[in-house]
Amino acid sequence: MLETGATVTSADPHAAAANAQEARAKQQIDELIYAHRNPDGTFSGSGPFQIKTWGKEAVLAANENYDQGRPFVDEVDIRMGRALKDRLIDLQLGKADIAEIPAAQARGAAASGIQVSRSQPDELIALVFNAKGPAANDRRIREAVASTIDRAAIVNFILQKDGEPAGGLLPQWSSGTAFLFSTAADPGHAKELWSQIPAPPTISLGYDSGDSQEQAIAERIEVNAQGAGIPIALQAIPAGVAIPGADARLMRLRMPSAIPQAALAHLLGVLNPIAGLSTGGDALTDSAGPQQIYDAESSVVRSFSVVPIAWIPQVYGLSARVRDWSAPGPGETWPLADVWLDNMDAQPQKGSS
Amino acid sequence: MTFRSKLFWLFTAALVFSIALIAAGVTVVARKAFTENNAQHTDALVAQFQHEFERRGQDVARRVQGIANADRTVRMAIALARPNADASVYVDDAQGVSRSYHLDILDFVGDDGSIISSAEYPARFGYKLPWIKSLTTGKTLDWVAQGPLLMKIDTQKGAAVGLLAISTVRVGDKNLYIVGGERLGKEFLGSLVLPVGMRALLYLNLTPKFDPANLVDERGPIQEAQRFERFIQREQKQATDQTFSVKWTSDPKSAEVFHELPLRGRDSDLLGILLVGSSQREVVILERRIQALAAAAVVVGLLIALLLSWWGAARVTQPIRQLAQGARAVSEGNWDTRVSVRGGDEVGQLAGAFNQMTRQLADQRERLLQAERVAAWREVARRLAHELKNPLFPLQTTVENLRRAKEQNPGQFEEVFRESTGILLAEIENLKAIVGRFSDFAKMPQPELGPVNVNDVIRSVVKLFEAQFGAAGRPAITPELHLEENLPPIQADQTLLHRAIENLVLNAVDAMPAGGVLMLRTTHQNGRVNLEVSDTGSGLTPEECDRLFTPYYTTKQHGTGLGLAIVQSVVSDHGGRISVESESGVGTSVHVELPSQPPQNSRPLATVEAKNSIEAASSSGESKKEG
Repeated sequence: MLETGATVTSADPHAAAANAQEARAKQQIDELIYAHRNPDGTFSGSGPFQIKTWGKEAVLAANENYDQGRPFVDEVDIRMGRALKDRLIDLQLGKADIAEIPAAQARGAAASGIQVSRSQPDELIALVFNAKGPAANDRRIREAVASTIDRAAIVNFILQKDGEPAGGLLPQWSSGTAFLFSTAADPGHAKELWSQIPAPPTISLGYDSGDSQEQAIAERIEVNAQGAGIPIALQAIPAGVAIPGADARLMRLRMPSAIPQAALAHLLGVLNPIAGLSTGGDALTDSAGPQQIYDAESSVVRSFSVVPIAWIPQVYGLSARVRDWSAPGPGETWPLADVWLDNMDAQPQKGSS
Repeated sequence: MTFRSKLFWLFTAALVFSIALIAAGVTVVARKAFTENNAQHTDALVAQFQHEFERRGQDVARRVQGIANADRTVRMAIALARPNADASVYVDDAQGVSRSYHLDILDFVGDDGSIISSAEYPARFGYKLPWIKSLTTGKTLDWVAQGPLLMKIDTQKGAAVGLLAISTVRVGDKNLYIVGGERLGKEFLGSLVLPVGMRALLYLNLTPKFDPANLVDERGPIQEAQRFERFIQREQKQATDQTFSVKWTSDPKSAEVFHELPLRGRDSDLLGILLVGSSQREVVILERRIQALAAAAVVVGLLIALLLSWWGAARVTQPIRQLAQGARAVSEGNWDTRVSVRGGDEVGQLAGAFNQMTRQLADQRERLLQAERVAAWREVARRLAHELKNPLFPLQTTVENLRRAKEQNPGQFEEVFRESTGILLAEIENLKAIVGRFSDFAKMPQPELGPVNVNDVIRSVVKLFEAQFGAAGRPAITPELHLEENLPPIQADQTLLHRAIENLVLNAVDAMPAGGVLMLRTTHQNGRVNLEVSDTGSGLTPEECDRLFTPYYTTKQHGTGLGLAIVQSVVSDHGGRISVESESGVGTSVHVELPSQPPQNSRPLATVEAKNSIEAASSSGESKKEG
């Protein structure tokens, strides 16, 4: 059994997903079912699994005719929209073999005996200023807020060291230039900048109301900013809502590809409509070199319209019998076709995997 | 206003005042008693709160100590005491532990004062609590012995006031501080057990100025918190126990009395104000009941007072009224009036004295009448003797002359006889005249009333005397008439009036043997006709004036003393008044006042009044009264 927080309710896996998480889950399932993706984006051929049932739980059965060999498991029971605490409990009780868990809980899960599988940090948590917000018009305001953020504390305490402070729009493992962007807080500089603001506003900071990790990071940003005398008002925003009037909001940005040009172009394409960036994703071609990538990143980062905070990996909790699972990197499919289960006493109470 | 009415209102006022005073006194005493009772309730509540506060603090301290003693906390302290300890592992611990121990506030604080984990402010990890190190610098504090304390704390939702207890876990030379507590707020107030009609409000003194949002009751921020602004501000300036009242509506029953209890922190700073409110509803209702009862008592008392006052005044004034009636009867001449004597009090004594007075008055009057009667008879006898003696002497002389002539000179007897019989007849005629005048006075007729013009009567009298005024061989008398025109006629007996005026004119003429001016004046006023007859004679003495109208009193050699007595009798019979003014060397004036219509039965009354109304004013004089 595999548990995920995404909810894909449509029987048709091609149906549009409600958000990015659902879209990723849909894509994963698609790629488990279809082997190939055509240049136009459509799928062709047969994948390692076939849909057996679709409802609250999706059951994928092994494709006996898969051209790269039948998967080791007979069936994969995918339970979607599972709450976070339930996923951990299911793992601990042996009701699930694989579950997506937040990076911040990886340490705790590992301490409780659960195998933890991490991907490369491929999800960026960033503070994105709303180009239409009044506070975002003054670069000093954005820079002052950015200078107060103690990224190390966020990574060490909130993310429990499962992640790394982010200075650029791409992780170090992808671009190789992330170390050139500073991640240190400078409250003194922030105070100096803030003192230059003629009529200091209160910055409204939105976060996903259903994401406790975002809430914790937002609260920490508020504490950091208040330490520098910058008033911040937190605003919980329902999932799926862009930025309803907030000056800024926290966003999770997943790299779609390990290729830096493609990943950065994608990120800029997502951020540009919100933050009103001067550098669009179209400027980057597949052949763009490291300097061009750096320049593009630098242009965005130094505008302080997007303030990278941390890179976090995809973290999966695994039951003790799961073998040969490796967390998928950007653009990769769940390696369910390669997973096999050790013959142990601990059997999931439900599911046939 | 009668004496009875005065007594009645006096009694009524005294009773009403007494009842009102009692009612007011009862109201004041009741209010005072309720105020004291209320104060005792408030004191009890404040004491209860303080007890609850201490109990809650001890409970908090016990729970915090329990956290410190827990294995997990000890392991945390051991781990953090190691070099390069990773505190991030414990960043979420405080939230879970605080829920387990039912604490609103829980902070795990490292040896350097940095927050490792915070339940009330999770994002504040890594920040330092400066006060915790300042408290422990240079010494080790026994936090349990220190006891709970009130402190202002920062939370994710803003500043708050907490009842905190601090415990430590010491590993080696490093401390792990556990700061736990409960937040003062609506939940805390909700846990207080209050008597019916009382409530507790809490103002958290988190801002320099009054903030309505910081004033809460057990349900949260209260309505119309602005009403407390000036009291809170007063408490902020001088934090002492104070009491004030808040009237929520115009109805006094809505009033609430609040007792302020300042809540101080570790440095005696004012962190909060507990307001213990007591509804005045029951007090006002009871006060109104008392006032209604008092009003009813006043009304009933007033009615009773009216009845009692009426009865009492009647009882008290009855003898006095009898006395007044008796006095009035005496004044009307009823000398035999007596009043009943009841009891021996002052009024009874007064009635006895009144009766004794009337008895004595009657006796004295009787004696006076007898004396007057005797005196009158004596005067009559004297006058008769005087009047009769004068003619008798010539009679005796004439008879003796006749006898002497018969014996000594018979030849001339015939001539003497003729002369003597002539003299005897003349004197006998004189005696008859004297007897006739007395007879006339005794037979004064009843006046026969008819319209009379006084001016005409005066002119008629003056015409009779015209020959005498200018008689030869006698000093002239000049009559002057000042008669008012349009003098209204009066009802009178013209003959009697003529006789009276004639006597007055005759007296005036006799008073002026050396001549002079005779003045007659008439005026009228208020329906009465005034007549004045004045002479320019030598005037009268006061003694003469006093006796002027006494019958048979005269100052003239040949007067009978009946002239002015007749005048007085006529004036009295017409209901008028007569008075005399005389001044030595100037003359005498007689004033007569006659009503236009004599009163019924005027004769006896007029006689009395005429006597009483005699006024005599004379310095000295020798004017003679003609009889």
